[in-house]
Amino acid sequence: MAAGDNSKKTAEALREARESLDEGHFPLAFFHDDDLHQLEIERIFGQSWVFIGHESEIPEPGDYARRYIGDDTFIFVRSENGDVNLLFDSCRHRGAQVCRAEQGNTSHFRCPYHGWTYKNNGDAAGIPQKSKAFKNLDREEHGLVHVPRLETYEGLVFASIAEEGPSLDEWLGDFKWYFDVHMKLPEGGMEVIGEPHRWVIDANWKTIADNFNGDSYHTAWAHGSVLDLELGGEETVGHAGTGDSLDRHVHCDGHTTSMRGFEGEDVFLTYPEEVVEELFTKEDLSDAQWELARQALSFTGGIFPNFGFLHFGDTTDDPEKDVAPFFTIRKWRPLGPDQMELWSWGLAPKNAPEEFKQRMYKMYTSNFGPTGNFEQDDVPIWKGITESASGQFASQQDLQLNYQMGLDWMSEMELDEDWLGPGFAYSENLEEGGMRLFHEQWYEMLAGNDRTDATGTPMNISEGQ
Amino acid sequence: MMLTEQADRLEALLVEREVEQFLYEEAELLDNRNLHEWFDHIAEDISYRMPRRLMRENTASVFSERGYYFNEDYGSLKARVERFDSEYAWAERPPTRTRRYVTNVQVTRDGGELADDELHVESNLLIYLSRGDSEDHTFHSARRVDTLRRREPSESFEIVDREIRLDQTVLSTDNVSIFL
Repeated sequence: MAAGDNSKKTAEALREARESLDEGHFPLAFFHDDDLHQLEIERIFGQSWVFIGHESEIPEPGDYARRYIGDDTFIFVRSENGDVNLLFDSCRHRGAQVCRAEQGNTSHFRCPYHGWTYKNNGDAAGIPQKSKAFKNLDREEHGLVHVPRLETYEGLVFASIAEEGPSLDEWLGDFKWYFDVHMKLPEGGMEVIGEPHRWVIDANWKTIADNFNGDSYHTAWAHGSVLDLELGGEETVGHAGTGDSLDRHVHCDGHTTSMRGFEGEDVFLTYPEEVVEELFTKEDLSDAQWELARQALSFTGGIFPNFGFLHFGDTTDDPEKDVAPFFTIRKWRPLGPDQMELWSWGLAPKNAPEEFKQRMYKMYTSNFGPTGNFEQDDVPIWKGITESASGQFASQQDLQLNYQMGLDWMSEMELDEDWLGPGFAYSENLEEGGMRLFHEQWYEMLAGNDRTDATGTPMNISEGQ
Repeated sequence: MMLTEQADRLEALLVEREVEQFLYEEAELLDNRNLHEWFDHIAEDISYRMPRRLMRENTASVFSERGYYFNEDYGSLKARVERFDSEYAWAERPPTRTRRYVTNVQVTRDGGELADDELHVESNLLIYLSRGDSEDHTFHSARRVDTLRRREPSESFEIVDREIRLDQTVLSTDNVSIFL
């Protein structure tokens, strides 16, 4: 949007966009807009639960990693007593950064400017010449600032820079039921292998959010090379809406997952038999969760606003080798209206044999991350969307992107009445409701409303059905 | 004695030149995206790795023990090459325009585990990358640590082992859809 009374214009444009979303439209220009970017940072990233990292990345006291929420830099650090902290990386004296490395281990962080020193729990430990220079300064009030809210779910650490708001538990809601399947299926849970891949791309963050919230339609086209080369099975990589697989698009408390599987079969994401037999456990899962895992071949999904995951079976790095699964979680960090930093982690069951963990990590890098045979081809596409959105034409022509797939005048859609999990499941994957749900929540937060004001109902199912 | 020493030094110079020429030819094949021809120079027991560089407070050059971008054997590297034959490999349609600059080549025979016909070769690599219909460009900068094996009777080499030590920890490219 051009200069002028931007906020009024933005509010108006937002309202119009919300209305057209019910028709399955969303403005292309919103994928590159300075004013919206500022609003997103303030009202979405300033309010939401944002993924920071997995506890297994900082296993020992003193282990730390620099992490980010929007434009802000934090130190994700385990203190001497084992607690996980998230400290704003800015000296309380004059604001300099006290943590310079991406990762490491330290008992203290020392400011390079005037030597103020902090313990790894954030407490101020030393202020040079304090008795002469700052005799009345209360050290206890001058520790590094903790993020207001920090919570952990199954080792996944999320933070919110908002003082108040829903708890992480409320934020994730019943979607935990689905994510539990990934995190609790192997006895001992999942752990991160190595360090996250990070790369900066010239694309708006909402492009990847769309992609992770139920874009089964793109797979066979954008990733046709993987199919051509037989690096993935027909059901993992093939066209949406084809074949005999059990395909579901699930929406649950504002988050989504799309799955493919085989009804009634022991699939377990093609984990090898010995891993399934020795490691997978029903202990922390309900019968229905176990049943979902048993039949599942692949899962993709998104947790609002900027967390995504893929847990895939039936892939390989070499058509001559056996297939294996991989599990990746990722976040997209907006750096501007036309730029984001992608963070991508490979995971494996903590108690699996080292050789198998390495195989899973190999599968992850062969398919996703900057060198992934899938992901290599996604990024230039997202970049193109952002570029198309950037000019005068998209806004002057009020170009609307199409998210109508699955709306009742476009396709015959049904809900799976016998679906075994919370939320609801479309009984096929040719629909784009997950993306509409993402944009609905995006709208509500930008409008200053509660995220849960998004209807989140299966709006493409007409009343009579 | 003097003569032998001089002969050895001349021999070493010739080997260095052969290695440099090989690296230049390899760079040209990759810049021209003659990937299959490039792959002809890959040994069947290849280990092709690009570990993730770490950024630490007190160490200039440290790499992840478990994390990497590439860790390929012959089969998986071949699959990556063949992927670009597909009309759906969008990352390289149209191909990235690249120019590889190979410098600071160091050749040694004493790599400890080297066979008689193998050489330890290190080189700096700077790759200019330009993409799409724009002036946009970026770079990869790396140190490469290779083991090359002489192919008899030809004068050429095959790559047995390559470790690409990138200088960036956060990449500034859309993806890595080229070989380094």
